[in-house]
Amino acid sequence: MRLDRTRRRAPIAMVVAVVATVLSLVSAATTREGVALSIAFDLAIACVTTLSLPDLKSSHPVVSRAALTLLALDVAIFITFFLNSSTNFNLATGAAMSIVLLGLSFLTGASGQISLGNGAFMGVGAFAMAIWSNHHATTPIFLTLLIAVACGALVGLLLGLPATRLRGPYLAGMTLAFAVAFTFILSSFNSWTGGDSGLQLPTEATAPRWLDGFFHAGTSPLTTTTLYITDFSIIVAGVAFFFMANLFASRTGRAMRLIRDNDVAAELVGISLPRTRVAAFIVSSAYAALGGALLTLINNSVSPQTYSFALSVTILSLIVIGGIGTISGAVIGGIIYAFSTNAISWITTQTGLNPQGNFASQLNGIIFGGLLILTMLFAPLGIAGALRHLWSRIRSRT
Amino acid sequence: MDPFLTSRIVTDVLGGLTNGVIYGMVALSLVLIWRSTGVLNFAQGAMPMFATYVGFALLSYHFGYWPCVVACIIAGLLIGGLTERLLVRRLYGKPEINPIVVMVGFLIVLEAVAAAIWSSFPRSLPSPFSSIDWQLAGKPIALSPFTVYEIATGLLVMTAVAVLFRFTKLGLQLRASAVAPEVSRLLGVRVGRLLTLGWMLSTVVGVITTVLVSSNFFTGLTPQVMDGIFAFGFIAAAIGGLESPVGAIIAGILLGIANQFVTDFVNQNAVIIIALALLIVSLMIRPSGVFTKRTERRV
Repeated sequence: MRLDRTRRRAPIAMVVAVVATVLSLVSAATTREGVALSIAFDLAIACVTTLSLPDLKSSHPVVSRAALTLLALDVAIFITFFLNSSTNFNLATGAAMSIVLLGLSFLTGASGQISLGNGAFMGVGAFAMAIWSNHHATTPIFLTLLIAVACGALVGLLLGLPATRLRGPYLAGMTLAFAVAFTFILSSFNSWTGGDSGLQLPTEATAPRWLDGFFHAGTSPLTTTTLYITDFSIIVAGVAFFFMANLFASRTGRAMRLIRDNDVAAELVGISLPRTRVAAFIVSSAYAALGGALLTLINNSVSPQTYSFALSVTILSLIVIGGIGTISGAVIGGIIYAFSTNAISWITTQTGLNPQGNFASQLNGIIFGGLLILTMLFAPLGIAGALRHLWSRIRSRT
Repeated sequence: MDPFLTSRIVTDVLGGLTNGVIYGMVALSLVLIWRSTGVLNFAQGAMPMFATYVGFALLSYHFGYWPCVVACIIAGLLIGGLTERLLVRRLYGKPEINPIVVMVGFLIVLEAVAAAIWSSFPRSLPSPFSSIDWQLAGKPIALSPFTVYEIATGLLVMTAVAVLFRFTKLGLQLRASAVAPEVSRLLGVRVGRLLTLGWMLSTVVGVITTVLVSSNFFTGLTPQVMDGIFAFGFIAAAIGGLESPVGAIIAGILLGIANQFVTDFVNQNAVIIIALALLIVSLMIRPSGVFTKRTERRV
């Protein structure tokens, strides 16, 4: 009985949420913050109402995830209206990075394998984005992003096909070789990739006209663009997270986790090991490419030096510290990435190190490498795992 | 003299042999650790790099090249042993990715610490032999006293490792504890110590490789000196089969020669791309490596 009621109420609540959003958007006439506040408020109420429905999680898991994603997006976007440009810019790169991290987290969480080349896959997406926009400037952004994702998936298929069939560290080693090779690949195609100086996007990503007034801060065009691109990145990340959460819970996702835990059992119940593993790797590469393409959009340019082996290693560190194999770990890792540069320069000034000195310039590597080792030895599920553990202890006490 | 020795093909083979021996040694050190402990050591380039920096720190105390090399090897023994005892030992029996991640973390830390102490600018080491190619009738052949030193040392190290494993009691114990640790333990083999010894041995092979690479006049020593070489070493080990030391060496040497041909006939950038393509093709055709027998896995 209770379940039936939920079944009927959940979609209705969602419709209410969407209608409330549309109404708020249409009535966008007063001050920017005022409108933002009203939208955020409407949306938050709708989402919370939806989420509070009994048994929603079990009866309509997709709706529940959508509401959760919408709520998170709502809060995040609302916050960006009150932050300065440089913080927003950091958040935007953090959002792009969290997509990459999510892909890697999925690969490991789903198939038990690991990629050391996601920085290079990011580069594939980043350059695909820049090259395509330079040749076809009129293509809508969404389409260009999809093309970049397709390029990442294709390269993933090429590398994943031989490596994922094997047990052992072949995928890790091969992706490492790819990451090391990537800068050479870029300079082999100088005429396409722009050589050492990289590529600029032909036009800056600006808000579509019907939204322009909403993002217009009245201070400078730069602030407006940054705010728009930040919110755009956050929304793309939200959509990516929503799809991944569903994939994690789907039949394919369960098959992948079974492979990770016991590949022999998985084979016995009729799961094709090679096919599923390759699929997981392709998804992870495509997500990395999406993150890279988004980063090109945020920076308005792409430079080959960004996509060195060091980036792949940074990605690995971030997701391990955040919590590998978890979805929330990717969010945590993205936030860490967004503010790591600031945090490290803060440490440098606090400890009185010479900012141009050898030690200060290596602080990043020492801290991330050290945290990587310590996390893996003492808390293999990272911050997300630690929080989950803490949460379950609190719940069991009450 | 006949122009044979200065012909393009022979020059490429000789030039490639030098790199090939280096790749073969890296591949060998990877295989040694993989076979004995089931860890693919991603810090296999960084650990020896660090030991080489430590050893050559003696240069500022007016020691010569050879005492420094000895110091490097001692540092390598220490680093290898300590790494196994303090870091790797905690990872046996854990999921496959744990040791990978930890060793990658170790790689980052070692490279960062080395750059913090000694800066990331290339440091030129004294070279015991001249790097200028010998001339034959006015044309250079792709051999210099230094490359002969490299090739000879490499072959010597490989032979020494082979002899150790094949013909000594220690080698037998090392092999036994790698193949069947439980049985070996029951038969009185100190497996734990042998694993440490295996890591020390493999690090020393790496140190000798790094010393050869970085005392080359044209490269010098940098914290990242082994990154690219590690990638080629892994490709060689994977093509040869991670289970087969001989396969790793042969694949390494052939890869070096192939690279030289690609450099000569295509360009420098294409080298690692072709190497990657070779790896993909060889894994497609013979997943377990060209030089290993296929084995069934038991559940």
